[in-house]
This record gives sequence, structure tokens and C-alpha cells, in this order.
Amino acid sequence: MITIFWRKSLAIAVLGLLVLPLTACVVAGGGYGYDGNASVGVDYYEPVGGVYGVWGPGYQVGPYRDGGHFHGGNGVHPYRSAAPGRSVPSIPSHSRGRH
Amino acid sequence: MHSLRNSNLADSNSEKRNNRRWVNRYQTGNFLKRNILAALLSAVACMPAISAELPVPALVVPAVQEHHVGKIVFVELVTPDIAAAKQFYGGLFNWTFHDIDTKMGKYTEALMNGQAVAGFIHRPVAANQHKQPAWLSFIAVRDVDAVKKAAVEHGGKVLYEPHDIPDRGREAVFADPQGAVFAVLASTNGDPADVLAANGEWIWSSLITVDPDTDAAFYQDLFDYEVFELPAGPKTQHLMFASENFARASANSLPSDKAITPPHWLNYVRVDDTAKMAAKVIALGGHVLVEPRIDRHGGKVAVVADTSGAPFGLIEWPDTEIKEISK
Repeated sequence: MITIFWRKSLAIAVLGLLVLPLTACVVAGGGYGYDGNASVGVDYYEPVGGVYGVWGPGYQVGPYRDGGHFHGGNGVHPYRSAAPGRSVPSIPSHSRGRH
Repeated sequence: MHSLRNSNLADSNSEKRNNRRWVNRYQTGNFLKRNILAALLSAVACMPAISAELPVPALVVPAVQEHHVGKIVFVELVTPDIAAAKQFYGGLFNWTFHDIDTKMGKYTEALMNGQAVAGFIHRPVAANQHKQPAWLSFIAVRDVDAVKKAAVEHGGKVLYEPHDIPDRGREAVFADPQGAVFAVLASTNGDPADVLAANGEWIWSSLITVDPDTDAAFYQDLFDYEVFELPAGPKTQHLMFASENFARASANSLPSDKAITPPHWLNYVRVDDTAKMAAKVIALGGHVLVEPRIDRHGGKVAVVADTSGAPFGLIEWPDTEIKEISK
């Protein structure tokens, strides 16, 4: 009788071992498409740089704070310039929880 | 005698019944104990499998309905040394960290005041490999596959095919026609609100590239940006990309020694004192690549690199408006 119980117990344990990982996969959405390689998109893509560029006088990168009117693009560009007279947008000005 | 025998027989039957009940109870008890134990053992044995497949966190919790196509909504750092990155960025910005073990490796979520600000992903680098750790910018889209099609049609390259990240959304990684690397993300839970970044949070991004004109056309095709030409220094261009009436990023010519630095996206963290923070970068083992300097809005900007060499920017953005200082 006891042997039967042990067999049943063992069968349930084995079944549990087989089924639970599968359940876990379903819960986690099937993983990341694991293929042995990088599975989220991030990796070492950037070429190795040497000396970082020297930013000369007038080299500016930041956003406008208070806009000002855009006077239209000069010359011909492969892109569509914003409409002349359009105010140059800035970054969001409202703090979190106040918008 | 008969009655005694009957009585003894009855006692004997009663005893047998009692014994059978006891045996049944004992067997049932044992059966339950053993099977509960077996189930627990199974669960314990499966715990590593379950914990190994935890997904990376959603971009926004709780989910929102807002989407901001063209906005840089997240950044991730690939690094060979997450512990060093945590020490550096924790020391610099007071970021806190939440480690998640996944089957794809170690992932660390960086938080600022409880808000997710970045992700760190561990990738080993062999001694003979020349790899550049870098911050990868994720630009919000609604349809990753449609953006992939547009990117390829307009001269971009697919570095990582569109794929689903559980809870996070669908993403892909591309190189633009000049080679600058960026990612797109269609976030499952919507995009972060358009609010002013606090100190220690990402506030701005620049595309530093060989040909801002060509790249502006490329990104406009992908994200429908408005493009503004802004005054720039000699032999350089300064464009601004906007969507939903917010400035999203600048595009700038590579500096004169562009042969050395490849085109790249550069993200800036808002700080209250760029010079002070640049000094702190050095104290923490990082490097200053572009010394603190006055920028268009009057605040100072600098470019620095963490201990693994990943470059990023520091930029002041005072709460009150200040006049633009002469260039």
C-alpha cells in the first residue's frame, strides 16, 4: 500500500517539475525570445570612439527656453522645414504632478 | 455461551472496523502529507526557473493611455560592469537600483525618487574585444514594424529586429544613414508624461552627426518631426526636432575632428551645477569629454563619460528663466 502512495507522490512530483516551469514561461510571457544572444535590443553597437570632438565657439546643443519665432529654413533641404512664423517649441515646463 | 461468543464476535468486528478506520485515516493523512510535500518540492525546484524569467519592468506603472511619438522615453546602458555603473551613477545622481535576474542576464533598473530613469544591461567584453559601452536612446513609436520599414527605405540599418519584450512592449534597434544608433519602443503601458525633468533625470538629447540635413529628413520620415533650423557656429549646423509642440532633440554637426568621433546620440541629465557635477564625475572615476560651457539657454552644458567610457551630457535648466548669454 505504502509503495503505491510513494509511486503516486513521485508521479505528482515529476508532473509538478514538468508543468510548473512551463507555467512560469506562460506567466512571464514566454521569455525574451532567448536565442543565446542578446535578447533585449541593447548591445555594444557604438563604434569605438577616440578623442571626443572639441566643441568650438558657437557650438550649441540645448533647447530653446522661450521660443521666439522661426524665420523659416534657408535654402533647400531634404527635410520639410517648420512653417515660417511658427514659435520654436521648448521642452515641457510643468513639473511632475502639476500638469 | 452463545451470547458470549456473539458478544466476542461483535467486539472483534467492531475492533476490525475501528482498525480499518484508523488505517484509512492514517493512509489519507500520509497521502495528503506526501503529496503536499511533493508539490512544495516541485515548486521549490521550479523557483529558479520562475525567477529567471522575470520580465524587465514596464515603462510606465500604472498603465496610461498617452503616447508621444518622437519623444525619447527611455535610455539603457550596456556595460560589462553593472556594479561599477551603480557605484558611479548612484554616487553622481543619487539614483537607487533594483536588480532583476533574467535568463538573458543581469538587468538593473535605475530609479530617481521612485521613478525609473534608466536600465543597465550586463554584457561581458572579452579582453581582445574593443567595445564601446554606450547609452541607447529609445524613441517612442506606435508601430515598430512600420518604423522598421520606413527606416530601411530611407537608408537606415536594422541592428536588432523588432521583437516583443514582456511587459515593456515591442522594440527594435537601428542605425541611421550616418551610423548613429537608436532604438524605438512601442510601450505596452503607454509613454511617460510630458513633464519637466527633475535634477538627476534625463532632460534632453542631441544627435551629433556628419550630415544633420540628411539625418533630419530620415528622422522626420520616421517620427513626423517638425524641423527648425537654429543659429549655429561657423561650418556647423544646429537643427531642432519637435513633436506635439515640444522640443524633442537637437541635431548638430560633428565637431571639426569628426573623423575621430563617430555619429551618435547623446543624452543629457539635468543638474543644478554642471561644473560641480563634472568635478564629481572625475572624483568618481569618470572623465570630462567637453568641459562645462555656456549654452543657448544660458545654462552650462558638459559632456562626460562614466567609468566604462559611456558618454552622456550634463545640462543646467534653471526653474526660472534666464536671459541667453552671448555666444
